[in-house]
Amino acid sequence: MSRGRRGFTALAVGLLLLTTGCSQPATSRSESITLYTCVNDTTVQPVISAFKAANAGAEVQLFRAPTGQLNARVASDVRSGGLRADVIWACDPLTMQDFVTQGLVGGWTPQTDIPETMRTPDYVGIALLYMVAITRKGQPAPANWQQLANAGKVAVPDPKVAASALGALAYFGTDFYADLKSKGAVQVSTPDDVTTGVAQGVYDAGMTIANSAYAAAKSGSPVTVSWPKPGAVAIFGPVAVSKATENRQLAQDFASYVTSQEGQTVIGSSGSYPTLPNVPGPTKPENAPTVQPDWKTLASEKAALLKDYATIFGG
Amino acid sequence: MMQAGDRGLLWAGWSVLIGSAAIVVAVPLLMLMRTSWVEGRGRLAEVLTEPGFGTAVAHSFELSAAATGLAVPIGIAIALVLRDPRLPGRALWRVAVLLPLLVPDFVLGYSWLRAYARAGLTSELFGFAWTGVQGPVGVAVIVAVSAVPLVYLIITVGLATRAEPITERAAHASGATALTVLRTITLPLLAPAIATAAVVIFVLTLGTFAVPQVIGTPAGFSTITTRIYADLTYGSDPQTFVDATTLAVLLVILTLVVVAPADVLLGIRLQLSRTSATDLDWPSGGRIGRALKPLGLAIYLIATSGLPLVALVSAAMTRAVGVPSTPANWTWDNFLAVLTPRTGEALGRSLLLSFAAASILLILGLITAGLGRTPAGRGVSVLITLTLVLPGSTVAIGMLLGYGRWLADTVAIILLAYLAKLWALAHRPISASVDRLPLAGLRAARASGANLATGLGTVALPLIRPALITAWALCFLTALHEVTMSSLLYGPGSETLAVVVLNSADLGRVGVTAALSVLVTAIVLLPAAALWALTRRARA
Repeated sequence: MSRGRRGFTALAVGLLLLTTGCSQPATSRSESITLYTCVNDTTVQPVISAFKAANAGAEVQLFRAPTGQLNARVASDVRSGGLRADVIWACDPLTMQDFVTQGLVGGWTPQTDIPETMRTPDYVGIALLYMVAITRKGQPAPANWQQLANAGKVAVPDPKVAASALGALAYFGTDFYADLKSKGAVQVSTPDDVTTGVAQGVYDAGMTIANSAYAAAKSGSPVTVSWPKPGAVAIFGPVAVSKATENRQLAQDFASYVTSQEGQTVIGSSGSYPTLPNVPGPTKPENAPTVQPDWKTLASEKAALLKDYATIFGG
Repeated sequence: MMQAGDRGLLWAGWSVLIGSAAIVVAVPLLMLMRTSWVEGRGRLAEVLTEPGFGTAVAHSFELSAAATGLAVPIGIAIALVLRDPRLPGRALWRVAVLLPLLVPDFVLGYSWLRAYARAGLTSELFGFAWTGVQGPVGVAVIVAVSAVPLVYLIITVGLATRAEPITERAAHASGATALTVLRTITLPLLAPAIATAAVVIFVLTLGTFAVPQVIGTPAGFSTITTRIYADLTYGSDPQTFVDATTLAVLLVILTLVVVAPADVLLGIRLQLSRTSATDLDWPSGGRIGRALKPLGLAIYLIATSGLPLVALVSAAMTRAVGVPSTPANWTWDNFLAVLTPRTGEALGRSLLLSFAAASILLILGLITAGLGRTPAGRGVSVLITLTLVLPGSTVAIGMLLGYGRWLADTVAIILLAYLAKLWALAHRPISASVDRLPLAGLRAARASGANLATGLGTVALPLIRPALITAWALCFLTALHEVTMSSLLYGPGSETLAVVVLNSADLGRVGVTAALSVLVTAIVLLPAAALWALTRRARA
């Protein structure tokens, strides 16, 4: 065998080993559940560790991606053999409602004291995002949302990209955004882009989620976080069990755990706002006002709302 | 005369080419088309008449035309300047020109904002900010600048193949000015290489996503790819997911309309069979020209690579966004956030995956180039361009639809996606160099009794080694920091480096993502330096 051919054979064998050797899932599905989520590792990893500690022998396989990738993954699963997740932990109720409508998840929720406004017969809210105002140090923080338009160069996140931004759009209505636009506001992609832009000084103020704003402030960025009246817009991230799960008991155990006092405490101590009352969470001023959009109405009017919005900030 | 072994080799080549094209490109594309047709044909009229659709298509084409119009002349100019062996520090310039290839797409936009936007680096240092960076002009400039290294590589290979220094010197001696020589001899000879570069950049720009999203969105500048992303984000609604696949299919059709005629035309023009003379005695301009060239190059590189890279390193080193990058604010925290045991494991996997992808692509690119002069070969070269134009997310969806049932969550499906996305990138530089092959030498080898494999291995391969190394390095670097496809396809035990970083912080924490790109740059600089040394040896 010539040297070139030997090299080629070795490469081919190596690649074959690489692809086949790595192709086996770490553990069989019967011993474990697969969790799909858009929540980042800072929160989800401690939750999985705590759940495994409380349920000896349980394995949780994780697929974590931003909402867009997560949706694409679910849609691709559905078209290639069925949903491969046993539990989904989404970042907003509209995404989860779409999964319920398609018959992918739901039909069961655990017993819990989480407020009814964040529960349906198919899913339960287990973590909250708050849409707050962020201003660059030196700029006056808006006391109410109407003042945001006069806070200098303002940035808002895209409601077509971030569910939290859609929640805010549903609460404020399009007139609010038309006012912002007329005073020079721009739309960026994600709430994190707003935070970065304001911290860097590209913008003077903006609308972003509390976790992102407080993380920037904590690391030393020159920003101020405020909860303008009538309140920060609250968006809940729900959990639901797959209808086709082959390990229903473990999947339900996981959903029960994350809605329990113990699970909520882990969520609260790992960077996310818990939904169970009186469980401590990340920074939130005392008596900080919060408001919620009408999620049921929004689910049916989302398309029309986004169409109106597109006439303001473009499509 | 065709020997039995030759026929076997040709047969094997065609089998690998057609089999791979079917598995890697045709199946995912067909699955996307099937989804779009079966579930979305009723909505086609709505997708086409949706507000902003026409504008997005126009923006995509305008951006591609602008980026191509900017990148191709700059890339040609740099290649011509660096052709002069007497240029001081030529070896260093040749490496510096390739620097943009090391910066992942997802931090490219941020690095330019940090360098030039309001409150950016230039504002801090010189009190100057470029407000236009956030908008269509900024998008075009950044996309063009990041495409320049590719043009430079293709033109350099073209120069090695086609330039005729003797004719150029004769023209000089007869009193022609440098500009006349360039206009009447050098550029016409380079025409096929220029056309190849233009097609590649046009297609790559049509499919580009990260820069239009980060830089264009705040200015209301949408393209087909940003609309696909928006549709995928609301892909929990089946209708918008199908709309996204329909947009992807439209993008493929538009690419086909542009690329197929260009490739047929190029295929004919590339069929030359002579070798060029060496460029060692290439006549360069006068002393002033030789002094001005490095100056111009230095200014260009500082503006387009230097400042954005400094901005990136300063973001990675600074404890928070928006605080001055002074020693008091320096920290290793962002690097520590990237360097965890999990990232170490993922880095090993990413290196292995990128190595595997680049090596397979080298073989595929070589076979495609070798068989590319036949109509069927040209067909395959058009086909593999179609997955280059698709945004990574839709390539990944095509893979999941085609192979998810069997390969979901495995390294194998990520590898297939890399092959689909990067095949054309491997093929084009090799293809642009195959007519350097001295057919006379090959015929002489055959006449002396060598079979086709020996002839190719001993006569052909050594001559196109620079192009092979270029193709391999391009694929390796691109695969190493790829995030869009991997983040959709990974599963437990198959996370890549970029996926682990994305998951720990999202891409919003710029300090950490900047640290990742600095780390990736450092990781590739060592092998890149080694490769560069190899290339030099191969060229010597």
